[in-house]
Amino acid sequence: MSDISPEEALSPTIDLNRLRLSQNFADQVGVKKQLLVVPIRKPDRQWFIRVRPEPDWSFTTATLTIKEERGSETFIVDRTLWEFLPGELVPTLLVVGISRQSAMFVWPLRLPGSDGRSDGWSRSALAAAELAKTHWIRVAANMPAGAYDVFRASADLPEPEWPEVSFQRVIELAFADRFIRSVDHPVVRRLRGQM
Amino acid sequence: MTDRFKKIWCTDFEFRSAPGERPETICLVAHELRSGRRLMIWADELRRLATPPYEVGPDSLFVAFYSSAELGCHLALGWPLPVNVLDLYVEFRNLTNGRELPCGNGLLGALAWFGLDAMAAAEKEEMRTLALRGGPWTADERTALLAYCEADVVALLRLWPVMEPHLDLPRALVRGRYMKAAARMEDLGVPVDLEALAHLREKWGEIKTRIVQRVDADFHVYEELSFRADRFAKYLAEQSVPWPRLQSGALALDDDTFRDMARAYPALAPLRELRVSLSQLRLEDLAVGADGRNRSLLSAFRARTGRNQPSNSKFIFGPSVWIRSLIRPEAGTGIAYLDWSQQEFGIAAALSQDPSMMSAYTSGDPYLAFAKQAGAVPPRGTKEEYREIRERFKAAVLAVQYSMGAESLAVRIGQPVSAARELLRPHRETYRTFWKWSDAVVDYALLRGRLFTVFGWTLQIGEKVNPRMLRNFPMQANGAEMLRLACSLATEQGVKVVAPVHDALMIEAPFDELEVAVATAQDCMRKASEIVLASSPLRSDAKVVRYPDRYQDPRGTRMWDTVWAML
Repeated sequence: MSDISPEEALSPTIDLNRLRLSQNFADQVGVKKQLLVVPIRKPDRQWFIRVRPEPDWSFTTATLTIKEERGSETFIVDRTLWEFLPGELVPTLLVVGISRQSAMFVWPLRLPGSDGRSDGWSRSALAAAELAKTHWIRVAANMPAGAYDVFRASADLPEPEWPEVSFQRVIELAFADRFIRSVDHPVVRRLRGQM
Repeated sequence: MTDRFKKIWCTDFEFRSAPGERPETICLVAHELRSGRRLMIWADELRRLATPPYEVGPDSLFVAFYSSAELGCHLALGWPLPVNVLDLYVEFRNLTNGRELPCGNGLLGALAWFGLDAMAAAEKEEMRTLALRGGPWTADERTALLAYCEADVVALLRLWPVMEPHLDLPRALVRGRYMKAAARMEDLGVPVDLEALAHLREKWGEIKTRIVQRVDADFHVYEELSFRADRFAKYLAEQSVPWPRLQSGALALDDDTFRDMARAYPALAPLRELRVSLSQLRLEDLAVGADGRNRSLLSAFRARTGRNQPSNSKFIFGPSVWIRSLIRPEAGTGIAYLDWSQQEFGIAAALSQDPSMMSAYTSGDPYLAFAKQAGAVPPRGTKEEYREIRERFKAAVLAVQYSMGAESLAVRIGQPVSAARELLRPHRETYRTFWKWSDAVVDYALLRGRLFTVFGWTLQIGEKVNPRMLRNFPMQANGAEMLRLACSLATEQGVKVVAPVHDALMIEAPFDELEVAVATAQDCMRKASEIVLASSPLRSDAKVVRYPDRYQDPRGTRMWDTVWAML
């Protein structure tokens, strides 16, 4: 701990600033939070969120959503399997969002179908995600209107702190066990009446 | 590094001191480490000396165990204080702070810790009695007392080689520097209205029942002098006060809970004052000398955070805050109570380098700034317009500083836990850099097994860890560093600091010097904050009281007025 010379230490005019020990404990211990799980979900109605704005941080694909009693599960499906699941797949834009509490999530946004039509929920969600690229917003369902209400924070809030991770890694973490690669996948088999 | 010193004097005084009085020196024993030179001097000869019989200049090191006592003898004898003080008590505390010490942290405990035989230094009751009896002493008694005194010096000599390798000398000398300031403050003492104290002591027994009746008129919770929990529960229900309970379901009636609740519900403050006064106030124990000065050991470095921990009953700044109204400057003088504004917030901002927190502190009103940063108050909103919101954000800031969870905060603000959680949430969202740093503090403590301040006051992390205490340690312990440094700087510049009060200083000066003394002391506080935080300085506030007015703590004013009216 004695990081100053004996002469300095014993000088009656010692500069106390030279004795100061750093209180930057993060640099000294090097503990980093590890991102292990990324949920796939809509933002909670009480969260203020931002969306990662860079073009290479979004991904258009076809997703399969299975609705269960306890909620729904979204899968991505290998392109070679799309023909086996007619009517089940939904064109989806995957974007990455983050809450004010720094919770990161993948937000699946429904795109218009091949007929170019979409409902109020999808249109308002896409508009909200676009706005969230530059502003903190909150999204809440408005059932009578059949669309999401979007609330923009008026305060001058700081920019989000994105974890140091690539988009590829985020998608891998989010869909680690939700990537359908073969027709033998239990979900596909169930949908095809094979189990 | 101690090789640089030409002389190293291990020193011990034997003295007696009546409560509140300066020490009366009986004898001195000092051994010089290098030459083996021994000094054993009786009081009458000591009083004839204008300077110490050993070197105290920049080339010498003064070593003692709990040195403010030895330095107090220097001051009582009119001797200069040594330039370099190394206190082995303080260094032993620093080495073992946070550890379980089976034999305590006294001289015997330190010897035992290092596996040294402590028998020779064991306190001999008859010797203590002999010293306290006072003179005149026979020749044999003198010899016995000198031998008793020398035993402690010999213990120091044995402690030295085992402790020296552990010393971080430059910072140990900074701590020793504070022991000089502590000695000066202990020597000066706090001015007390002797007449009022005598009157109070005389009448306290008689008026106690009447005070209870008077204060209890608003509460109806006493039966004669006994506090009745069932009546208190009824009062709380009537007033809709959500009081914390123990796991058993009974009301938590400890003083910490009362103090917190009295802050949240000021109407309860007189009841808390009354309870403390009845249970803890021992007016006879208040250590006030014949000259009307309250002098007691400050017990420097006693607390885990390195703060002073003086006796609650002997020191006037104990838990009964109304008693502080006994503090009155002497004729022709004034006192000033100086404290840093929002010190913990400022320390947290500077140490974590959180830009939002620093800008909130710089704004002058961190609570309003926090509300603005969180978007609850518009950028141009004022304290007057948004008083209620500001209060809520203030509660959140204080809750974080006191390491309160949502449950405790809910009790404090009298709101549901969900509301408290909603109050704490913006703090984490707004001050993310601070929280990251705070998490790193806990990580560091758990991984490395210790935490330390800017000047090396160290907490060893044992098996039982309270993460909230760890989070708070940098703020509280560096706050203590700041106070110690400010006391050192101020006393060295000749400011009469009469007491450190938690995180504040009380000073005194004649009327015509008071303004300058306040400015000098505030300048020292500013410098101390700059040095400790390595950032822009913290602001300080001054409350000046001039004779014949008395000092008053707002929390105790009502109780004092009640008592005084009866007297």
